[in-house]
Amino acid sequence: MSAGIHTDAYLPHPAERVWRALTDPVLLAGWLMPNDFQPIVGHRFTFRTDPAPGFDGIIHCAVLAVRPPELLRISWTGGPGIDTTVTWQLAAEGRGTRLILSHEGFDDTDPRQRALRRMLDGGWRGHLAHRLERTLDALT
Amino acid sequence: MGDVDVFAAIASPVRRALLDALRSGPLPVHQLADDFAISRPAVSQHLQVLRNADLVAEERVGRERRYRLQPRPLREVTDWVGHYEQFWSNRLTALRDLLDEQP
Repeated sequence: MSAGIHTDAYLPHPAERVWRALTDPVLLAGWLMPNDFQPIVGHRFTFRTDPAPGFDGIIHCAVLAVRPPELLRISWTGGPGIDTTVTWQLAAEGRGTRLILSHEGFDDTDPRQRALRRMLDGGWRGHLAHRLERTLDALT
Repeated sequence: MGDVDVFAAIASPVRRALLDALRSGPLPVHQLADDFAISRPAVSQHLQVLRNADLVAEERVGRERRYRLQPRPLREVTDWVGHYEQFWSNRLTALRDLLDEQP
């Protein structure tokens, strides 16, 4: 099973400007994260942020598609089970731009994620089973 | 979140197996040691790591200490989709601010 995030925002700026904010590494760092991005298909780069549990703070990316000023797609890998893609689509709307973001491919089949989920499910079942057992013990 | 990284805590197959065994309810150390055919001190050491990660809690039942599975930290680290929803919402706000400030 795989899950995704879809969101969008209206930006009162022309698509070319929004495109620059997505593809100029300095501007990109200004709103997203420090990076060594280049708008070239196949280019590998990283985003760097603070580490978190199970995550060293480095997001490994590759540029998958560049269609100025309409579409940018990158791979986004970092943290357990996070082997995903991020797609930005830009569409002219009124005097500005609609920016559509899709972050897809969150994988529930990663072995570590599976192990965690199994334990989570078990945690609840186990808790209920334990209570039931105690109730039954009290009856005998 | 405890002192120990949850992923570091579950990196060990023995500790994963211990958590698995606790799914059906709290157990004392000696029973875990018997079930896994490893020494009590070794089991205690693994349980200590799991306790530091808040994955198990110790409870006293009479003279016996039992260990109970606490799934909440697992839930926190598996909720990546929720985490990223919040992340992108914040980042898109930052993008709007950056564009508004640009001359």
